[in-house]
Amino acid sequence: MIQKGMWWKLSGIILFLYVLWGGMTIPLRPGITSINPSSAKTGDTIELKATGYNTHFASVRNGRAWLKLDSVHAIKALTWQAKNDNELTFRFILPQTLPNATEVFPLHLIIDNETDGAFVHPNALFLSSSTDTLSFDAIPWTKHELGQFNDHQGIQFPYRSILNETIRNTFFHVALWFAMFLLLIFGVVYSIRYLSTSDYEFDRKASAYTNIAVLYGIFGILTGSVWAKFTWNTFWTNDVKLNMTAIALLIYLAYIILRGMNYDQDKRARLAAIYNIFAFIALIPLVFVIPRMTDSLHPGNGGNPALGGEDLDHTLRMFFYPSILALFLIGKWIAELTIRFERVKDHFYLKKS
Amino acid sequence: MNRISEIFLKELVVEFRQKYALGGIFLFSATIVFLVYKVFNQVSGLEWSIMLWIITLFAGLNAIVKSFVQEKKETYLYYYSLFDPLELITAKLIYNILFLGLLFVSILIFMSLFLGFPVKDPTLFFMGSTLGLTGIAIILTFVSLIANSEQSGSTLMSVLSIPLILPIMMLLLKITAVSLRLISDTSVDQDVWMLAGIDAIMLGTVIVLFPFLWRS
Repeated sequence: MIQKGMWWKLSGIILFLYVLWGGMTIPLRPGITSINPSSAKTGDTIELKATGYNTHFASVRNGRAWLKLDSVHAIKALTWQAKNDNELTFRFILPQTLPNATEVFPLHLIIDNETDGAFVHPNALFLSSSTDTLSFDAIPWTKHELGQFNDHQGIQFPYRSILNETIRNTFFHVALWFAMFLLLIFGVVYSIRYLSTSDYEFDRKASAYTNIAVLYGIFGILTGSVWAKFTWNTFWTNDVKLNMTAIALLIYLAYIILRGMNYDQDKRARLAAIYNIFAFIALIPLVFVIPRMTDSLHPGNGGNPALGGEDLDHTLRMFFYPSILALFLIGKWIAELTIRFERVKDHFYLKKS
Repeated sequence: MNRISEIFLKELVVEFRQKYALGGIFLFSATIVFLVYKVFNQVSGLEWSIMLWIITLFAGLNAIVKSFVQEKKETYLYYYSLFDPLELITAKLIYNILFLGLLFVSILIFMSLFLGFPVKDPTLFFMGSTLGLTGIAIILTFVSLIANSEQSGSTLMSVLSIPLILPIMMLLLKITAVSLRLISDTSVDQDVWMLAGIDAIMLGTVIVLFPFLWRS
């Protein structure tokens, strides 16, 4: 039997299960985890050993590799010897000369085959001149064409060095913050409506939404902390966003304490509503302005990209946006349950007295 | 305007009637400064700036918590019939800002007496301090309104106000550190503007919300 108002609860759960399933099972795109050696001199013939992740080196027929300087200058690998699916050796003959007047070149490694598609390992090899006198000749560098690249097959998440598999946390950590902010907006809107109507129903709603938002904030900090452990190697850093979130959580925990005070109902509701509005306004510079002005390890700050380019590509979007919606709907559901409980409680107490 | 200055003068008179409470606040700050002096003996610039702001914060908390508690409920009813809420809050804000400023200056004098005055860029220091104190006074006034008429008023006061003051505090410490030449930052103007922006937002919110608070 489908009850009224059931559809969004169910869709929240289904969306979240979809995000859990997709976010946890879809593999990462192939990538290179390490390269040996990492530097070379001009004129060398080098055996480059690459260790891959999620790659299929041994099972492909048409594997190719390049060391690329830019879109014009590149050299192609002569051989392709795969030890197994994840280990690969290839030989490069590096030209005698450097293409232009720079002492050290970072070369990017491009690997292409029909199963994995083309992928890049930036700054794989640092090339320097073997002689003291620098001679430049771009011609040996332009002989090899980069050729047609294959596309990878199926849905895969982007491979990012350092992030690796933790890129899946985008669906939980980042989405939790977005959902938290949506719930806070709902809370503050209900607070404003309480002030203009003095209807206790709005007070209950404001409180329930803000409480669940605080819970999401705590989850956001926990998931972020775990993520930081695996990428920045520490549970807590002195990063500006972390500090600002800690302050924001303190402000809202103070709200919960204020809401729990033993005032009479009218006064408690009014004070809580006023503090909630004030806290929300105080939150805006905290979350949106100060972090933008300061360097931060987070994406979107201090020149790091955010939610754009390759960091949030369409495969991630497929799960990231549903995740925000799902978490919001689940939060709304929990808030709704709290509101009903509070409503019954108030009704019961009022009847008794 | 006239009414505002009247309320302001009334506040002043009420305050000076309770000379002991007033003296207590200044004595409190002097005692804490002396305590810090004896505990540290020799302070570096960093410690100086931190202690200055921590002492100011807690002395300010103590001073402003009674801004709305010291008067009786009946008096409030009387004010309610007498004044426009906007006039009352403006007068209260001006009074609290000036009072906090006075407190800050006295703490500063005690600090320079015992621990020296390491500020290298007084213009920046006093400009930052003025803006920061304004912000702190606005938040403390607002929170003292919420936390009044309750036995656990002072606990609630610190729990509610300290997180709200924290961002101002962080900006203030940075501006102070720059004015002490502890760190060099070319974009410190941005922080000063930021502080002014926070003040403006807080002020606007308090003025909008005060009539609702006032109805009790």
